[in-house]
Amino acid sequence: MADFLSAYSVQKWLESCPQGYLEDTVYGHKPGEQETELLKSNQILREDAIRTTVQLVVGERAALAASSGLINSAPDEASKRFLATQTLDEARHVEIFTHRLYDLGVAKDDLESTLKQYANPNLVKFAGVLLEKVDKKDFIAGVVGQNIVLEGMAFSVFEMMYAMNENINPKFAHTLSGTIADERRHVGFGENRIGSLIKENPGRKGDIEKMQKDMSYFMLATFADAFRDTQAVDELERIGQERSHARFHGADLGAMDTKEMEDLLAATVLKEFKTRLGRIGLEYQSPQRP
Amino acid sequence: MSDVHDLDPESFYEEVHSFEFWFQAVEGYLSGTTWGHRPETTDAPMSPEDRERLITVLCNYCVGESAALEGASGLIAIAPNRLAKVFLSTQVVDEGRHLEVFYHRMRDLGVTDPEREVERRASRSLQTFRRRLLELVASKDWEAAIFAQNVILESLEFAVFQDHAREADSVTAEILQGVVKDERRHMGFGENELGRRVATAPHIRARIGQVKKELDHLVLESLEETVRTLGMPRDENERIGRSYIETVERLGFGS
Repeated sequence: MADFLSAYSVQKWLESCPQGYLEDTVYGHKPGEQETELLKSNQILREDAIRTTVQLVVGERAALAASSGLINSAPDEASKRFLATQTLDEARHVEIFTHRLYDLGVAKDDLESTLKQYANPNLVKFAGVLLEKVDKKDFIAGVVGQNIVLEGMAFSVFEMMYAMNENINPKFAHTLSGTIADERRHVGFGENRIGSLIKENPGRKGDIEKMQKDMSYFMLATFADAFRDTQAVDELERIGQERSHARFHGADLGAMDTKEMEDLLAATVLKEFKTRLGRIGLEYQSPQRP
Repeated sequence: MSDVHDLDPESFYEEVHSFEFWFQAVEGYLSGTTWGHRPETTDAPMSPEDRERLITVLCNYCVGESAALEGASGLIAIAPNRLAKVFLSTQVVDEGRHLEVFYHRMRDLGVTDPEREVERRASRSLQTFRRRLLELVASKDWEAAIFAQNVILESLEFAVFQDHAREADSVTAEILQGVVKDERRHMGFGENELGRRVATAPHIRARIGQVKKELDHLVLESLEETVRTLGMPRDENERIGRSYIETVERLGFGS
């Protein structure tokens, strides 16, 4: 265990993250990059971007609460130190996505009310399932919920968003690329550290699998709400703006309707869950479709 | 970034509590270091007695840093706003780094299992302080916990590390100098956060006074133990003790 954890040290984190892929960035993107003029001037697209970014802030706030809360229940010093780096990663994500809201025109005084107005209730319930485990100082369930389920979901969502924005909004795409690199490290820790703990505590499998099932249900419900609520596709069509033909897992996102995009994202995340849970000795539990 | 002190108060807090500010600050003194010191700085020969003394002191430093890591991470959950949460996250990774560089230093000195060594050698009074700090955090007493963590503990570490860095071997000295720079930032946050609260709610000062009274003797006891272990003269204990008290007083929390 000690050998694998040395790859997750603060020293390695300093070299790879702040002194690596974040070097010369400002709030996660290149200095001087701005949101697109279309986003700033079109009220429907701007509101859609705000709604989407609010979900990112809500998710990252949950991740910050979970990773900091797990430090005190970690069974060894090296895991505590890794979670310290993850805590700062999550705080950075909260900060950069909050900053995006400001860039989209949300006033600082309106931040909390904007979050309250647009936060998806199913995403809040998803976070609630995880934070209940963290509050009970349940390290194994907390790390599976945080570093496999939440981070696994975030990883695929960010990758899809990155694909959609890479050619049309480099500022947001760059912001996402740094977070994707962070999430990859977090998922790696979860898989590596938890596998041995599950082996040592086989009696825990049942309740952790149930947690995964509950979280997956709320995640799918969040996706369903998000793709149903979006007006961006219709608005782009109305103003005659061609959609970006970005590719995600072999599909052309610019040629899909919102239901097809929702199904593709859900299938991608659930497939990842199955693979990652299998690696740590847990059996994926299919949730009901909301 | 222009001078942060030219910013209006709201923008100032937003700036100095941000990841960006932390990143710029640590870049200045951590860039090019490995495990807290420059790679080209190497150990000079050390007598077995000096090595043993240094290991015991590092064990006590680890207890302090471990308390700070657990305290700061626990404080995130009860922090009253986003800026305080983000600042405390930077503090969490600072404390994690301190713990890591001290453990690494012990391994450099030939300790094969630093965690076990810490359990074996650590000062009882420091362990009691750690337990009490975590109780304050668990009870969600924001002002008392921030005072214990970012004023008392950080001031103690600041005074001890600064002094030890002057006498230490070159590797340990560089590690301590980097840690002291972080502690200064943490103390600044504690002073600022509590200062603003005391100004608007004077009863908080009385509560903080009680916490100080309760914790001071634990701080001074562990300080005495550290000075004795380092083999410093007795009057050094009084001098560092005064330095700790003056630091706390400078932050506006005298007896």
